[in-house]
Amino acid sequence: MTVPYSLLLVFILPTLGVPLAYFAAKKSTKAAGILVALIALANIGLVLSTLPAIASDSIYQESYVWIPILDARFTLFVDGISASIALISLVLILAATLFSINYMEGKKNLPVYYALLSMLSIGLVGVFITSNLLLFYFCWELMLVPAYFIVGGWGYRESYRAAFKLFIFTHAGAVFVLLGIGAIYMTTGLTDMFAAQAALLSYSGIARWILIALTAGFAVKMAIVPLHMWLPDAHSEAPATMSALLSGVIISAGAYAILRLSLGTVFPAVAGTEFGSSFLHGLAVFGVISAFFGAFIALVETDIKRIIAYSSIAHMGYVMFGLSLYSSAPIVGAITITAAIVGTVLHIVNHAVSKGLFFLSAGAIMHQTEMRDINEMGGLAGKMPFTGASSITAALSIAGSPPFACFVSEFLIFVGAFEIISVDGFYTFPTIFMLIATVLSLAYSLRFIYRVFLGQSRSKNAGQESESEGEKKVVDAPTFMKLAMGILVIFVIILGIYPAFFINLIKTVAII
Amino acid sequence: MVGIIDVALPIICLVAFSLLTIPVFRVIRKSQHRIGLMLVWFATVFAVSGAAVANLTAKYYSVPSPSFMNITLTGEPYSSLSSAFMIDAISIYMAIIFIAVSAVVVFYSLFHISEDERLSGRYFAIMLMLTAALTGAVFSGDLLTLFIFWESAAAGSSFLMIYKKTRASLNSTLKYLVMIIIASAFIVFGLSLVYGLTGTLNFWAVRDALITLSDKHLLLIAFVFIATGYAIESAIVPFHFWLPDAYTAAPSSSAAFLSALIDQGSYYVLIRVLVFILTPPAVLNWTLMLAVMSALTMIVGNLFALIQTNVKRLIANICVADVGYNLIGITSVTATGLMGNLYFFLIGGITTALSFMAVGLINHYGFKTLEDFSGLGWKMPFVSLALLIAGLSFAGVPPLGGFTAKFLVFTAAIEANMSWLAVVGVLTSVIQTAYVFRLVNYMYGRRPQDETRIKESKRMLIPIFILVGAIIILGIFPQIVFNLIQPSINQITFFP
Repeated sequence: MTVPYSLLLVFILPTLGVPLAYFAAKKSTKAAGILVALIALANIGLVLSTLPAIASDSIYQESYVWIPILDARFTLFVDGISASIALISLVLILAATLFSINYMEGKKNLPVYYALLSMLSIGLVGVFITSNLLLFYFCWELMLVPAYFIVGGWGYRESYRAAFKLFIFTHAGAVFVLLGIGAIYMTTGLTDMFAAQAALLSYSGIARWILIALTAGFAVKMAIVPLHMWLPDAHSEAPATMSALLSGVIISAGAYAILRLSLGTVFPAVAGTEFGSSFLHGLAVFGVISAFFGAFIALVETDIKRIIAYSSIAHMGYVMFGLSLYSSAPIVGAITITAAIVGTVLHIVNHAVSKGLFFLSAGAIMHQTEMRDINEMGGLAGKMPFTGASSITAALSIAGSPPFACFVSEFLIFVGAFEIISVDGFYTFPTIFMLIATVLSLAYSLRFIYRVFLGQSRSKNAGQESESEGEKKVVDAPTFMKLAMGILVIFVIILGIYPAFFINLIKTVAII
Repeated sequence: MVGIIDVALPIICLVAFSLLTIPVFRVIRKSQHRIGLMLVWFATVFAVSGAAVANLTAKYYSVPSPSFMNITLTGEPYSSLSSAFMIDAISIYMAIIFIAVSAVVVFYSLFHISEDERLSGRYFAIMLMLTAALTGAVFSGDLLTLFIFWESAAAGSSFLMIYKKTRASLNSTLKYLVMIIIASAFIVFGLSLVYGLTGTLNFWAVRDALITLSDKHLLLIAFVFIATGYAIESAIVPFHFWLPDAYTAAPSSSAAFLSALIDQGSYYVLIRVLVFILTPPAVLNWTLMLAVMSALTMIVGNLFALIQTNVKRLIANICVADVGYNLIGITSVTATGLMGNLYFFLIGGITTALSFMAVGLINHYGFKTLEDFSGLGWKMPFVSLALLIAGLSFAGVPPLGGFTAKFLVFTAAIEANMSWLAVVGVLTSVIQTAYVFRLVNYMYGRRPQDETRIKESKRMLIPIFILVGAIIILGIFPQIVFNLIQPSINQITFFP
């Protein structure tokens, strides 16, 4: 059953949540956290309620009057791809909010934090469910401003420095996106991404530049090497909840935007040309570079959060590689959904949950032990069994080992790659390199598990730990943290064992 | 039908109220409730003048699909030297925003000035007089009337700059006056050439005569003089150097008034003269020259803002950069560009006014440099929030108004086949983000030396937050403004 105005409500509920959370947190921060979490839960329900419509028509749309003079309508839609990514973003928001209740306890200015979290969730979901380019850009930047303040205000060490880097880099990328959107509007007079696809077909000359501007802008958000410099700092200095959202949702938004806008809207205009295929080859090369770069640095980093941050770069390399497998044949309107597309979208989803869980677990470790160097840790599995189990789940999923989530999607991407190789021989070497990168990701994940959870504690004062008086005894994470991690653990395992739900959902997509 | 009295009424009202302000202030200065009485007085002033503009608007739009209306004193529409008014949708729009923004700035000034010293009636009288001159400038229908009204506004604004009579303000005002006088001389010389070439100064008569002109050499000389004159007055690089000095030395309320009204007035004059009369390419092809100046203005304004340590000077440099963004729209000579310009007038005006007001409130407590602003987000949360929102709007972050304005002018540049200008604009926007966030990092990212919360003056916050609300609402629903702009786009037939 479809709720009327369901997608508009997805915007309105968190907007109302901003003042409500602020005032609720003045009384009790727990109430504010639960309020924001409930809003995310309600939004999950609203998105789920559109699934029958998607199943029958492959797309569900709502459209409202907004700026008639620019021919811009407030157009909201969900189809297989956006519904699956929006759902998983909402799950992450839910988990991150629940996690904050314990994690943020005792910190300053919490009313502002919960208000910002609610504001952030407007953009985080909005970016996936709108087809109007201006509204898309609104949401795109709405992800950024609250993120800046959360990273800066509640982060570690020189957090505002990291936040500054985050803002400048991704905003610089965003202005190129704006330029691309402006050019689309100028050449076609349209601001709807689906309508613009057909209209752009006759402008293959300018479409090249639009494609390059948009893709470069989105690649900054995706942190593709060499545009990744903001990511390690921002992810590692941010509070764990924000790291989870940054790594889970915000960089995925970059990948989604490349799929929807670069490849979906603009690419058909250049498809079939030499430029088109070399563009896709370029994406594959950057994907491989990112996967290797991220994995190698993750192998040698000793800071617990930087390891995970670099593994995000590596995984965005996989996604980029998956995107480059997009069929280079001219396509208009209905497309065949290849294994590569399903695999890529599924990898965005799986990476989001796994990485969200990974960052939350790391946050729990840092919160409970007040350490962040993995050389000082060790033997934590016995002291923090729940966190240990969830971290190991996340690490193995990131490593791509069955039965956890990321295995399925990586497998599908490789299936797609082998399909393409028979047509385009260029992909042979990138595919081989990507397979090698998979081994590297297993290596850094196992190193992480070994150093943090197994063996003996290597803490400097390990010897006199039991004797010293003031030493804080390390205990497992508190209730809400466990609840948040538990939700994500369930998702990681279910997505690994029974991926059919999302695969079927993604397969209903008719146009990209 | 619009009569001469309808057009003159707002101007007459403002001038009359301006003259009355001095005796009224003298009477109520001794009263205990003087601030309250003054508020009532200015509320009356703006209500009456607003009503006069509303009357004009209603009469103008009562005609089905109104176009340009020439209104003369003599009854002859095009007579050669008769002073004339011309009303179109742009004039109406500009008059509305002048009255509205002026009201907010005057209320702020009332509180701002009364914090420091004894109230001077003349200060407010001049503000009202300048508003009257600007309203006259946007209603004028020939180059001479425009010149008279606009120059009185430009020269008159020096009184606002000099108000404090400090050494810096005397110096910068002198610099400004010299520039303005040179500019006026240039413009007068250019106008005399135009009159010699065409035998008239009426906008449309001049335009018709110039299109058929066979030898354009003299026109080129006239253009150089007129364009240089107006470029000096609107602070286009390389004629911009008076602006940061003047705005920094002036009291913040004056700077807010100047940036929100006089600046926007100067862009209006540029549009009227360059786009409407010297329309490229029919009359004269000047686009490339102005495009280069626009790029220079954006680059210079933003780079200089990047190295400032005095926050007020930083914002004055943003004003220079804003000139560049407005010029993109003017240079493109397209409907989107004009729309972007008209929207930018309002948003750019209120954003700069808002930042000057916020900085004025902060300066009041002795915080002037970036270093002083450390941790201000915790010491003065409300005014810091206002400054933050203004900064985000400058940087073009949606959903604030600055975003839509920039989007429109950049698209206009792409439409006019000047994508390079859009790229320059986009790159300088990144610089803009950098210095805005440098300021934000100081305000929120650093610990202050003493963390005592400073009590912010509530009555000064009210006008500030009115403008904050306007930026947010007009950013999310720009259609409110576009409804007023749209008729002017439809009226203009010579755009591609």
